[in-house]
Amino acid sequence: MSGFEALQGRVLDPLLDHAPVGFVSFADDGAITAANATLAAMLGHAPGALEGRRLETILSLGARMFYQTHFFPMVRMHGRAEEVFLVLRAADGTNVNVLCNAARVERGGAWANDCVLMEVKERAKFENELLQARREADRMRMEVQEHSEELHAINEQLEQQAIELELQQQQLQEAAAEMESQAEQLQATNDALVERGVELERQRAAADEANRAKSAFLAVMSHELRTPLNAIGGYVQLMEMGIHGPVTEAQLEALSRVARSQKHLLRLINDVLELARIESGRVDFVLETVDVAVLMADVTPMVEPQMDAKSLAFAVSVPEGTAVYADREKVQQIVINLLSNALKFTPDGGRVAVDVTRRTGEPEMVLLSVEDSGIGILPEKQASVFEPFVQVDMSRTRRSEGSGLGLAISRDLARGMGGDLAVRSEEGKGSTFTLWLPAAQPDDAA
Amino acid sequence: MTQDILTRNNVRVSGRGTQPMLFAHGFGCDQNMWRYVAPAFEDDYRIVLFDYVGSGKSDLGAYDAKRYATLEGYARDLLDVVHALDLRDVVLVGHSVSSMVAVLAANQEPDRFDRLVLIGPSPRYVNDDPYVGGFERADIDGLLEMMDRNYIGWAGFLAPAIVKNPDRPELGEELTASFCSTDPVVARRFAEATFLSDNRADLPRVTVPALILQCSDDMVAPREVGEYVHREMPGSTLRVMAATGHCPHLSHPEETIERMREYLQPALAG
Repeated sequence: MSGFEALQGRVLDPLLDHAPVGFVSFADDGAITAANATLAAMLGHAPGALEGRRLETILSLGARMFYQTHFFPMVRMHGRAEEVFLVLRAADGTNVNVLCNAARVERGGAWANDCVLMEVKERAKFENELLQARREADRMRMEVQEHSEELHAINEQLEQQAIELELQQQQLQEAAAEMESQAEQLQATNDALVERGVELERQRAAADEANRAKSAFLAVMSHELRTPLNAIGGYVQLMEMGIHGPVTEAQLEALSRVARSQKHLLRLINDVLELARIESGRVDFVLETVDVAVLMADVTPMVEPQMDAKSLAFAVSVPEGTAVYADREKVQQIVINLLSNALKFTPDGGRVAVDVTRRTGEPEMVLLSVEDSGIGILPEKQASVFEPFVQVDMSRTRRSEGSGLGLAISRDLARGMGGDLAVRSEEGKGSTFTLWLPAAQPDDAA
Repeated sequence: MTQDILTRNNVRVSGRGTQPMLFAHGFGCDQNMWRYVAPAFEDDYRIVLFDYVGSGKSDLGAYDAKRYATLEGYARDLLDVVHALDLRDVVLVGHSVSSMVAVLAANQEPDRFDRLVLIGPSPRYVNDDPYVGGFERADIDGLLEMMDRNYIGWAGFLAPAIVKNPDRPELGEELTASFCSTDPVVARRFAEATFLSDNRADLPRVTVPALILQCSDDMVAPREVGEYVHREMPGSTLRVMAATGHCPHLSHPEETIERMREYLQPALAG
């Protein structure tokens, strides 16, 4: 084309030389074929000095890369480019910012890339601000992207934990419901127990009251009964002595029976009274060191005549110096009671033995046993011999004098002194009653 | 998976040959770069074109900032395509940064590749005395700056430009539609991965024979750099082209095709 020919010889349209924008045309190999005076001046070159150079020589280094990677491929393949920002390099090495519009045209059988370059000055400032804001946004976007994976993982963890927590909460709720139900049951049980406790307390109070009433009743009754009985005894004696006139043999015999019955009744009353006093806690124990040998020496004469009368072999064995810490009179009462029982239930010609021992395994106690060769007690009855008003065989009771309270009183007394009373027996061969009493300590000696 | 990769990387297959010829585009554009060169090989090869994730018509949703922060990520894209199509005996053609992506891929799976064609390769753009890459760090920043400025209001540049292709009307409008359209953030990352990389140590490990196409006046990859690559890569052939610039496949497609044919001919004969 003629226009192309004209450009070849730097015969650019003078109008183009005076245009207020730069103009450059270059071939695909980068060779500048034409440039106007405005562009040459913009870059500090003389008019005509740019033709023949490579386009890249008027580009900054960054722009060279941009030219190769973006600008040239675009113009080459799209045929045009608009408003492309480029940084040119002036002759003195300074940068010149331009906006470039380019079009690819065929001219004279060859392809030319025509560019118009407008210098950018003031608008660069606004662009800088815009760019800075944009870079900041991009940077933050990248950060967000880079952290999103991490956040995603954390989120998943949190979700997992939330599920677990929900599960745990459900379990806790179930446990709480279970506990509440248990608590209700416990409360109900507690209420029942409290109620029962109140009831028991009430029953205990009633029982105590009844016991006190019984003891009081017995005490009063015993006193009320003893008074006329003593009167009966006194008048019988007066009559036996003939104070009220002569008495016949038959009358004496009758008076004697009255006197025996009166004594029996009085003893019964006394026993009842004593048991009542013990059970109502109104018995005082005077504890002291009691020499068992001395005690037995006091008791033996009281029973020997009856032993002899029944031809019973009576033996007492007490180690020298054996002492108990107890109430002397009460111990004596217990021993006499045990010996009386032995006398009562042992047939003529039998044997009664008192044995005092201490056990190595139980050094703080002294054991006083009364053994007889009497009728003995059935095993099933042995436990009840200490119950009040019990005698082993009612048929024998009639034969054997007694209130049936002796053993009950004796055991209560033994226990009141910190000891106990027990029985071991074999039917038909005899019985052994063993009295436990606290041994006297050396410093108990009074 | 295969279909996913083919979609993800916008893989296009054509040609009537059996030996695969895989083209890897450089930074800034997409597979359309090869439109003046690739058709010349369709009779003898099976042509495979693709876009890296983040470029062209690739699936931008598959972009992973971490993966594509280094050239290894791009090499993985390339090998993904090789595996998806189960390519063997491949002639791999890489332009600019893809020369180094090709080196990385060939070092990872040398058995897959028959020949490498490296157009304007540079293992390192930034000078590192005594090594001359041609640029200082500040120049790279200048490029990034220029990219940023152009992406500000560059609707015409980024949006699909429907223009008649004055050069080769037969290629139609569709191919030009998305050319050079790139997400600015993705482009910036690719630029950093490209221009701040250092792949000098990878060159001596290459066992696949390679053709180095060096333009006679390339200001992006200067001649000394091409000679350096040739020196460091065993079994490489250096051809200095009459073509100038950095994109001979755009500016001088005929010479590019001729040089490639010269190099590959013995392979075809065998």
